[in-house]
Amino acid sequence: MAFNYDKYLRLEKMPTLWCWGCGDGVILKAFIRAVDELGWSKDDVCVVSGIGCSGRFSSYVDFNTVHTTHGRTIAFATGIKLANPSKHVVCVAGDGDALAIGGNHTIHGCRRNIDINFILINNFIYGLTNSQTSPTTPQGMWTVSQQAGNIDPTFDACKLAIAAGASFVGRETVNDPRKLEKLFIKGFEHKGFSFLEALSNCHINLGRKNKMASAMDNLAWIDSITASKAKYEKMDEDEKLNIFPTGILYHNEKAAEYCDMYEEVKKVHQGKRKTITQNDFEKKI
Amino acid sequence: MSLMVAPDNTPVWVNENRCKACDICVSVCPAGVLAMRPEAKSTLGAMIEIVALEDCIGCMECELTCPDFAIYVADKKEFKFAKLTDQAKARAKAIADNKYRVLGA
Repeated sequence: MAFNYDKYLRLEKMPTLWCWGCGDGVILKAFIRAVDELGWSKDDVCVVSGIGCSGRFSSYVDFNTVHTTHGRTIAFATGIKLANPSKHVVCVAGDGDALAIGGNHTIHGCRRNIDINFILINNFIYGLTNSQTSPTTPQGMWTVSQQAGNIDPTFDACKLAIAAGASFVGRETVNDPRKLEKLFIKGFEHKGFSFLEALSNCHINLGRKNKMASAMDNLAWIDSITASKAKYEKMDEDEKLNIFPTGILYHNEKAAEYCDMYEEVKKVHQGKRKTITQNDFEKKI
Repeated sequence: MSLMVAPDNTPVWVNENRCKACDICVSVCPAGVLAMRPEAKSTLGAMIEIVALEDCIGCMECELTCPDFAIYVADKKEFKFAKLTDQAKARAKAIADNKYRVLGA
């Protein structure tokens, strides 16, 4: 008996539409194992995904699922979470979905620190639409929209999330599915906004034109640009420039969660307490 | 439909209906248990094959890194896996050098 993924899958949708060797499948499996480990009931989980290859994520899992408009995963998820504070909401978005068209929703979701588990699948390219520059495409790489070489500087999504106010921020890669699974478990257990970045491969639309045409080459490249947080901190500034740290990068258990604060607003309207004032918060500005 | 229960005391088994022949499982196997055989009906012209069943060490790498739910490894509690031998390591290297294809094919 092996691990039973089929329990959580919509079997009529199998095999997946993703390309051969796509990291999305590895992330999907890690996500399923994390949910199984936590023992969540299928009825208590809502998976919200946007547009892009990562948008297919919600089609394959047999939970409550919403396949929403481009970049608006957090907007929909916020509504779902506020209406059902006891349920678990998981957002899945790609780098273009979460950081370009949905960039605003992402930073404000982080700012509110609402209890949503946000999985960012970062494959460094717009894969579904065939290789346009995304906000995380490394400078100098060939893309369809910048054929002379990409000149746009890139986001470090985790730093962005920390600065915006997310209370749990972590990054892992598809090279190490066990670590990814553990990061998901820690993030899902955390009450507050969990920003979970998974670096993934797109050897078809990023790799073919950038000298890593096979999944293995692309995975080796991802391995070469990442280092564990402990190793990263020992590096000097020049080395840090081209390395993404992995692991749990930020964890704040004390930050107030949005659904809890919203309960106070309800109490005000029910006449159970006086209005909320600045004295209710430690941070005044 | 996939096969969740191991067929007759087997350490590793595959669901060929789901395999897309991406080679990742072959590249991560340290014991040379897996290789790709030529297969005209497959999109990429190859299909996963278990070439050395008895050498599987149960490291789970192939199952964890398979993106397509196509490969399964038995539970460590239910199956006694082999130890990693030099011969198995050499075969793994030979298969990798042979572009992950079945040796001698």
